[in-house]
Amino acid sequence: MVSATKVEGEYSFLSKNSHLDQSEGVKTHLYHFGAEHGNDDLKSTACPEQGPSLLDTILLSQWDNFAWKGHLDYDVTACQLKVIEGGINFVGQLNNKWNSFSLKEYDKLFESFRCSKPNSMKSYEGLLLCVAQGENDRPEVAPSASPPKDGLLLIANAYPVEYGHIFLVPAAVNQLSCYWDKRMFGLATKIASEVNNAAFRVFFDSRTHVVSDHMFFQACYFPNPLPVESASTVVLYEYGGNARSDIIVSETVGYPLKAIVFTSNNLKALVNVVSEICFSLHDNTTAYSLLISNNGTKVFLFPQVKNLVTGCSLSTWECGGYFIYHTKFEFDNASETEISKRMASVSLQDSAFEDLKHLCCAIAHDLVK
Amino acid sequence: MASSGAEEADPGEREREEHGDLHHQRRLASSLTARYSDWVLEALDELPGSFLLTDPALAGHPIVYASRGLTALTGYARREVLGSGARVFQGAATDRAAVAGVREAVRAQRAHQVAILNYRRDGSPHWVLLHLAPVFHARDGSVLHFLAVQVPIDDAGRGAGAPCRGAQGAVLAACREEARVDDDFPCASYSGKVFVDMDKRGLEAEKPRVASDSEKEKAISTANSIVAALNRYSKLTGLVVSGKRCDSVGIPALSSSLNLSLGYSREEILGCNCRVLNGPGTSLEVIEEINQHICSEQACTVDLLSYRKDGSSFPDLLHVSPIRDASGKVAFHIWVHLDVGAKHDFNGLTPEVWQLGAVGAVRVAVRGLSASGSLLRPSQ
Repeated sequence: MVSATKVEGEYSFLSKNSHLDQSEGVKTHLYHFGAEHGNDDLKSTACPEQGPSLLDTILLSQWDNFAWKGHLDYDVTACQLKVIEGGINFVGQLNNKWNSFSLKEYDKLFESFRCSKPNSMKSYEGLLLCVAQGENDRPEVAPSASPPKDGLLLIANAYPVEYGHIFLVPAAVNQLSCYWDKRMFGLATKIASEVNNAAFRVFFDSRTHVVSDHMFFQACYFPNPLPVESASTVVLYEYGGNARSDIIVSETVGYPLKAIVFTSNNLKALVNVVSEICFSLHDNTTAYSLLISNNGTKVFLFPQVKNLVTGCSLSTWECGGYFIYHTKFEFDNASETEISKRMASVSLQDSAFEDLKHLCCAIAHDLVK
Repeated sequence: MASSGAEEADPGEREREEHGDLHHQRRLASSLTARYSDWVLEALDELPGSFLLTDPALAGHPIVYASRGLTALTGYARREVLGSGARVFQGAATDRAAVAGVREAVRAQRAHQVAILNYRRDGSPHWVLLHLAPVFHARDGSVLHFLAVQVPIDDAGRGAGAPCRGAQGAVLAACREEARVDDDFPCASYSGKVFVDMDKRGLEAEKPRVASDSEKEKAISTANSIVAALNRYSKLTGLVVSGKRCDSVGIPALSSSLNLSLGYSREEILGCNCRVLNGPGTSLEVIEEINQHICSEQACTVDLLSYRKDGSSFPDLLHVSPIRDASGKVAFHIWVHLDVGAKHDFNGLTPEVWQLGAVGAVRVAVRGLSASGSLLRPSQ
């Protein structure tokens, strides 16, 4: 048990220490997952009646504290929201300050956390938490520890799309990993599961969430169901054999952007199947986004084509049905028709989508057996 | 409801004569729009329930706004009551003591709740829970308006300690005439009783009806929505209006997960202002600091001494923070108390971390709610 106060600002800089170990110098709250007992079904350890989970509480707390100290560029909760008329209920936000980072900026930001020398105090303040696998049965938090190499850093996004917007970045760069890091994807999904809050979603965009050949994720909180989560689905494949390894593959119906949904209570099965599919997509150079929702039991796959006419593409959040408008005029005039057109224009062609569906079912079938 | 202090007869009558006067109408309407904004009337129109806003600064303390729900409850058209004093709803059998209590609350500028017998337009009496609350100017603490919420009390909500005693026949007949009700309407005999008691002066008039908890809660939540609406639209004219006077913030909702062992039941705390936890040792400077942060919509954490219902004190780590809803405006402030002296198991987290985690959870939840407190919906 620990009783120390929060560690924001209490960093031991490497003025005197060596520069060799890149994880030295940065200390933060360290959350350890409880160890798995060889039981892949994580749902058995989660107790929904007990209120917010430890990880949920500490993440929200760290983020709120970061916001309170004024490190965010703006208060995202002060940005007006509305539901756009029409059956799909797209969500619009009026935000003239939001800025999507460029890839170069991501690189610089993450390097500053990994490197022993910080670029500025502000970047360290943004390090909210580190998450890593633990050895004890129950999850636990150490208030001040160096992030282990196999850990995941949770860094606040100063230009949040929604409350609690963070980056999930590997603590140490694995030189050997190719662009898709299955272990990292597994950790990101596990975080979603441990936060155990339906408002918390993790996302990945193949076009923008890869820096120096290394992937990272983003996550944030939004309490209402996203439009895609409310969309009807039809099942494509359902493995009915071993209940523990059940994975359901379905596609959305009536949603303007074609999407495939993977549902499973078995995190390992989910991670395996989705990873395999993403490898294939990467080989085909198909752009796609992933949305991990429902406490890590559901993954939405949004394949996209590059629209050669408009050059338009959608961020993961937009794929889910949430749009940010920079001007009041755009915000007031947002329409479901216009959004649906944008989505349709980046959606896969029918034949390509059929192929993808077959691929997903085949992979699910192969891996789950 | 009574006019502030003055005699009830003439000023109200005079005002009503000018009722048709357009200039007068405009003056009443501007009582709200000048203080808040043009949109405040639309916002108030959206709120459910029967309520009034009155302006104590105008002669006769007239009604300047009546909600849509007023007609269904009282039978009066909204424009009919504008400009009148709120006593237009009272009648012969309305308990004078209850009316006096309301008048006193208006004079003292404090919130008040009482079950009272009102009369509809057609003369039929009905029991309502009247919830009165002042709306304060945040900076100088002056009262801008009073709001009065009327929640109908169920027939079944009749208090247990209210036996129907027979009243003197003649008096009862007279009251029945006034009330125009059926013979077996419970209030008839009660009105008689009250009437009789008035003559006997020394006797306490029994409270004839008791509002149920849900009726009380409904009154409070309606009052809070009204204040939130006023609060929201006050910003547009640059006027900062506090939900209530800065040093008396209400507690609209109490989460059961908040660690409070104050001795008050949840129902007792709901609707109270946070001063209920203050006591002799509570630092006034700290309270002032909290007030200033609330008025400027900033969060703060303070240490202060708070008191339980039994009078015992505890060191309170209090975090107060504005919470915004989907409109982006502040919906209310959250007060998270923590008894620093008691043992808590926060799984290794410090109390401060736990507190902010609770605040964050509320922020996330309220972010998805529209201004009326319901889930975000497409605009009509």
